[in-house]
Amino acid sequence: MQPDVAVPVLIVDDQRPFRLAAAAVLRRSVGFELVGEAETGEEALEQVAVLHPALVLMDINMPGINGIEATRRIVAAAPETVVFLCSTYQLSDLPGDAQTSGAAAYVNKEELGPAVLRRLWDERDGDGRLHTA
Amino acid sequence: MAIRVVLAEDNVLLREGMSRLVQGHDDLELAGTCGDLPSLLGLIDQEKPDVVVTDIRMPPTGTDEGIRAAAHLRVEHPSIGVVVLSQYANPAYALALLAEGSQGRAYLLKERVADVEELLVAIRQVAQGGSVIDPKVVDALVGASSPRSRSDLDRLTPREREILGEMAQGKSNAAIAATLVLSERAVEKHTNSIFSKLGLSEERDVNRRVKAVLLYLAARD
Repeated sequence: MQPDVAVPVLIVDDQRPFRLAAAAVLRRSVGFELVGEAETGEEALEQVAVLHPALVLMDINMPGINGIEATRRIVAAAPETVVFLCSTYQLSDLPGDAQTSGAAAYVNKEELGPAVLRRLWDERDGDGRLHTA
Repeated sequence: MAIRVVLAEDNVLLREGMSRLVQGHDDLELAGTCGDLPSLLGLIDQEKPDVVVTDIRMPPTGTDEGIRAAAHLRVEHPSIGVVVLSQYANPAYALALLAEGSQGRAYLLKERVADVEELLVAIRQVAQGGSVIDPKVVDALVGASSPRSRSDLDRLTPREREILGEMAQGKSNAAIAATLVLSERAVEKHTNSIFSKLGLSEERDVNRRVKAVLLYLAARD
């Protein structure tokens, strides 16, 4: 499933260090391309409408609407968008609505790397369940 | 803009000394002084200071006026910082002061005020919503029962430290869960792990929360 065109990716995180780290992961990931960054869920909604990313790496804990709510709104407005929730906590620590937000996968920030990104992307199946690395 | 300070201290000499100290620094402004609880509450309403520096024991009862003033401000004027000065490292007072959160609260021993820098640091800290707890108070609280407690903090995971930082703001588990976007059960699991690592598992819930927070604040300095 190697695409000819790189997957356009939007990074959403209020903390600059993580945006830098995620951008570095994308640079080392063949087949993915960073197209934009957002610092809040609200900004992410605007960016999705303008940039049409295929994949959004979404932080969960942010000021304003959190990543789970932002995911719900993005998937409702642009259902073709694939969202991976990113957190430093375990999936089992997240509130129940993380499962039903419409996100395709959950990635622990400490595990985010080219291989994990590729695998979760290739395994995305839109079955509404949250896959993990 | 200068930090506006109200001083409450029934010992006239100490009050004069602290007044001069405040007046001697450009970033501080003395908004008023008094020597008992009713005048303090009146002065606060009148002057709306940024910070109140108060003795714990003052007239009318000479028991815990400073703590009561701090509790009153937490409800009525949450943005006003409070530096409480105490003669003794009495853990019960410190627990009471921090029971509703450590934001904008300092607990200093009077012996510390002899080193004027300590008081100035505390005033500036609480003005920004920060916290300062006298190390001796922390030792009195946890030192005797668990001498390893401070280094035990190093055993906390970054996640546990983040949750402890939220606890230091006086948040309940439900409020922490909402802030960090976690399930309440996850917060409970992490707080239990924190208490266990800090040797506080056997304590009553309120006390162990405040003790954990005190350790956290003490280690941050």
